Amino acid sequence: MSENEQTKTSMIKLENVTKSYKNFRAVDNMTLDIGRGEVFGFIGPNGAGKTTTIKMLATLMLPDQGRMSIGGYDVIEQPHEVRQMIGYMPDSFGVYEDLLVWEYLDYFAALYKIGPTERKRAIGDVLELTDLGVKRDSQVMSLSRGMKQRLCLAKTLIHDPEVLLLDEPASGLDPHARIEIRELIRELCRMGKTVLVSSHILSELADFSTVIGIIEAGRLLAAGRMDDIMARFTSNVMLEITVKGDPQAALGVLAERTDITRTTFDGRTIRAEYSGPPDDVDELLEYLVRREVRLLGFTRTETDLEDIFLKVTRGVVA
Amino acid sequence: MNPILIKEMRTRIRGKLAFFVLTAYVFVLSTVILFYFLGTMGAPPSVFNQAGFWLTFVLMLVQMGLICLVAPTFSASAISSERRRETFDLLIASPARPSTIVVGKVGAALCYLLVILLGSMPVVALAYSLGGVALRDLAITYLLMLVACIAFCSISFLWSCLIRSSVMAIVTSLVTIFFLVFALPLLGLAFMGLSVNFGGGRPSQTVVNVVFLMLRINPFASISYLLVPGIPKPQGLWLSGIPFWVSQVIFYLMLTALSLFLSIKRLKRVRNWL
Repeated sequence: MSENEQTKTSMIKLENVTKSYKNFRAVDNMTLDIGRGEVFGFIGPNGAGKTTTIKMLATLMLPDQGRMSIGGYDVIEQPHEVRQMIGYMPDSFGVYEDLLVWEYLDYFAALYKIGPTERKRAIGDVLELTDLGVKRDSQVMSLSRGMKQRLCLAKTLIHDPEVLLLDEPASGLDPHARIEIRELIRELCRMGKTVLVSSHILSELADFSTVIGIIEAGRLLAAGRMDDIMARFTSNVMLEITVKGDPQAALGVLAERTDITRTTFDGRTIRAEYSGPPDDVDELLEYLVRREVRLLGFTRTETDLEDIFLKVTRGVVA
Repeated sequence: MNPILIKEMRTRIRGKLAFFVLTAYVFVLSTVILFYFLGTMGAPPSVFNQAGFWLTFVLMLVQMGLICLVAPTFSASAISSERRRETFDLLIASPARPSTIVVGKVGAALCYLLVILLGSMPVVALAYSLGGVALRDLAITYLLMLVACIAFCSISFLWSCLIRSSVMAIVTSLVTIFFLVFALPLLGLAFMGLSVNFGGGRPSQTVVNVVFLMLRINPFASISYLLVPGIPKPQGLWLSGIPFWVSQVIFYLMLTALSLFLSIKRLKRVRNWL
């Protein structure tokens, strides 16, 4: 691909970006390239450097070194142009409680220099998209947490930005509100926006990300298309073993085997990574029965994002 | 119109503080009138004849004192409150220029102070209708108060950009304004006293000139020299051809320009302090 073509398709670009707070390196020599229309899932534990990276891209912080660009504009040198292009939703944000919902959106629309007539239409559109139409004339303080989150997303979309930077958009929400936010992000993906969305809840990101990046202790450990990452890190077979009674006994039996490289458990269900020949899984089943592990289920499953994340990261939090 | 100004006015006017401050402000002024009338009840006609003049004069001084207190309260938390509410990131990530933020925030505080000044007018009109003060002098006094509002709001806004905590920003603004308005003239008078002691009963001409320069930039002195006829002034003072109120307006506008310039400069470098 020629350099020109690359510039055309590349929407968010980071080159050797580093950011430190006193003696603590929050982002360490990060290089990243996100294409137009991609949904980039930024995965990492709390304190990994996701928020710092997003804040730098949102023109709120300067990196110590490295270069960053959005839509061809230099984030460091051309912040004003970048701000016109992006919609930024921080992980923790406040709202102006005394305003009405439409006034809140009108304020941000005016900041983006949208004319009065166009503003009315834009407010109607984002309220419809975020399903807040009925709350148009309500006071912001009367909204629930989930509604405020949707209102912030509506504000983020008011100027129809090409690039969306969403930092933990569903954090602190109940399951119902999480699903609503997830559906909204899916809708944005369908609209062809370039989205960088961070979360430490992997199942959320797996649903809609086309590209993922795994970050830990400020370092980008892996990045690429979802399928490529899955293929790269899926060499073993994942098994779901449901046991009757205490899973600790079964975990002890599994720990004796060298072909079981990793186990996690949730209640009575154990998730085990099997590194032996895929066709010999039945031998493991026989072994468990022989060792009097009382089985309720034994299933071969697909590797998911959580498995990849656990494999790539070492549990280091910056 | 500046969107920040509109938003600020909407949120400010809907808040309890705005209602409370306006009510308290008018109440204090009304109380001054009430006590004056109660105090002069049964006084000889010569005292009552001067009621218009003295009442207007006292009301203006009280108003200037209240402005010194109220202006920082509304402007010094402009940026720090955005940070406390976690809305500052949203504002900075928008394409709003630093000058737009400054005009919006300082303008909103100023608009509210204008509402307060307008609210005081019926009370002042009551005193003015008794006679004793020229309309021109009253208008100039309001101009002085307006310029003081602009200057105090700008200084307080600068502190708001510099200090993270709202409370500390308000306290620092109040200290700055009190230093400017009260401490400077008091220091000048103290120097004059010292000069009298060490100068054989007469202060040196330079000290007198410096003290009167300090008085020239003091709003209370400007109002007094404007409204009260016959306050003596030594001969041969620097800038003697320029009325006190003119020099005060110029000085406060210069302070405003400096504060706003520094605020914009600070906001332009916001990525270094977030």
